[in-house]
Amino acid sequence: MVQKATETFFKSESRYRMLVENSCDIIFSLDFEGRFVYVSPAWKNILGHELSEVVGHNFREFVDPEDIPRCEDAFMAVIRSNAMQEMTYRVQHADGSWRRHTTRVNRHRDENGVKTIFGTTHDVTERFLFEELISRTEKMAMISGMAAGMAHEINNPLGAILQHAQNIERRVSADIPANVQAAAEVGVNLDLVRAYMQKRGILDFISHIRSAGMKASEIITNMLQFSRRSDAGAEYVNLSTFLDKVLELAGSDYDMKKKYGFRRIELQRLYAADLPPILLSVSGMEQVLLNILSNAAQALADGEPSQQPRIIVRTRLAKGMALIDIEDNGPGIDEQTRRRIFEPFFTTKKIGVGTGLGLSVAYEIVTKGHRGMIAVRSKPGKGSCFTIKLPLQETA
Amino acid sequence: MTDSALTVLLVDDNEMIRDCVTAYLEDEGFTVYSYATAEEALELIAAINPSVCISDMRLPGMHGEEFILKAQINSPLTRYLLHTGMLYTLSDELRAIGMTDGDIFLKPLHDLSKLVQKITQIAAVRGGQ
Ligand SMILES: Nc1ncnc2c1ncn2[C@@H]1O[C@H](COP(=O)(O)OP(=O)(O)OP(=O)(O)O)[C@@H](O)[C@H]1O
Ligand SMILES: [Mg+2]
Repeated sequence: MVQKATETFFKSESRYRMLVENSCDIIFSLDFEGRFVYVSPAWKNILGHELSEVVGHNFREFVDPEDIPRCEDAFMAVIRSNAMQEMTYRVQHADGSWRRHTTRVNRHRDENGVKTIFGTTHDVTERFLFEELISRTEKMAMISGMAAGMAHEINNPLGAILQHAQNIERRVSADIPANVQAAAEVGVNLDLVRAYMQKRGILDFISHIRSAGMKASEIITNMLQFSRRSDAGAEYVNLSTFLDKVLELAGSDYDMKKKYGFRRIELQRLYAADLPPILLSVSGMEQVLLNILSNAAQALADGEPSQQPRIIVRTRLAKGMALIDIEDNGPGIDEQTRRRIFEPFFTTKKIGVGTGLGLSVAYEIVTKGHRGMIAVRSKPGKGSCFTIKLPLQETA
Repeated sequence: MTDSALTVLLVDDNEMIRDCVTAYLEDEGFTVYSYATAEEALELIAAINPSVCISDMRLPGMHGEEFILKAQINSPLTRYLLHTGMLYTLSDELRAIGMTDGDIFLKPLHDLSKLVQKITQIAAVRGGQ
């Protein structure tokens, strides 16, 4: 019964054609040069080109140059061995965006001995992005867990180092009566003891221990942010006023002023007028923005000296979220850096200049503390734009 | 106790931190009693009646929070401060006995003068009462 139906169905070739033309996946054939001999209409749905822009054209015109060798290898293998091959590669949509495709290819030889390559192509972009997001999220969770654990362990001994150094400094000071008294008891003059320590550099050594310890402690405090669950003390703020305050803070910061010339930078504020009050942790979000602004200022300080350095701070509403953009016209970020930019300890700066914690802390505070999102876009050579998305709450 | 306005009781199981904070506070002229466990401190707090009691959070045996709640019964006039390595949000019970976020000091304190400021402030309020 079923077989009978099948036979009638395929009696006409048009039925075969119908199957191919209505397939959701792209079905195609290529000649051995790599030119498309046929593509099914699914191409237009998935990649946006008219079929006439594809047929007769080489697959190399559409595939990411980095992935062409992989495709060529697969074609060579299928031609040689006639064994089905599968490959995943990036291909450009008519709108310029990049999609990720998985294709399986086979070889066919017709009665005249002419060989063609046949393939079916499935668009895996969404699945790929999702998997990439999952693995990045897992990686971040693992690294931040480690960082937080380490920070806790180092915290106490570091506290002891700092406080003991502080005690030593104080115990040689003539300002504390107990010191003067103890010195008298053992028969020494405290001023002379101090003079000796000064002459031998001991007082400087102690103050170096203090300042190095302070630096370490700053790093530890940042790392401790990773174990912070949610941010207590959130309040509703007017985003424009809040951003103005943060920009003022940034302008008065010593490093920003002296090292990165923050005052030199032209600030453009493009605030949306229709923003409702946003629920956020003021100290947390201040830190996020200062970290991003200091990166921007650092990037601009290293940038092309001929152009006017500029930072745009923009707010807008989109899809139930409040967005804050911080855009600079610095050197931008290449793809490899962009992929790892939110990882703790990832830095491209010299040792002592950057620890690579700024953006990872920002990431933690935005995603965990505020259930928001943070992302970056960049055109290398043109600049970078960091976007923070914060969920809108219904005001109680 | 003649000058109970300047007496501090310190509980921390870390000897280094105990020594250090004690030394600093003594240099400021405070009388300091320090203990490694909450149990010891609890036994003596009523007799000492300190102005201020500074407790660690993670202690062997009794936990810092439980300690403060019990100590507060024995020595109700004492003001309690937490000196802890963990980010911590005050429990409702601790808030109920009058503690606020300003009473939490996160380790490491780079600068013990912050602690001294707090103690002096408390002592001033008490002295004025
Ligand atoms: N606006 C920007 N323009 C260009 N590159 C940037 C920008 N912001 C961040 N980066 C890159 O991202 C890296 C990581 O930034 P992050 O703030 O996490 O660490 P850091 O600035 O290197 O060190 P730290 O912030 O701890 O001092 C930087 O080293 C830099 O390469
Ligand atoms: Mg940075």
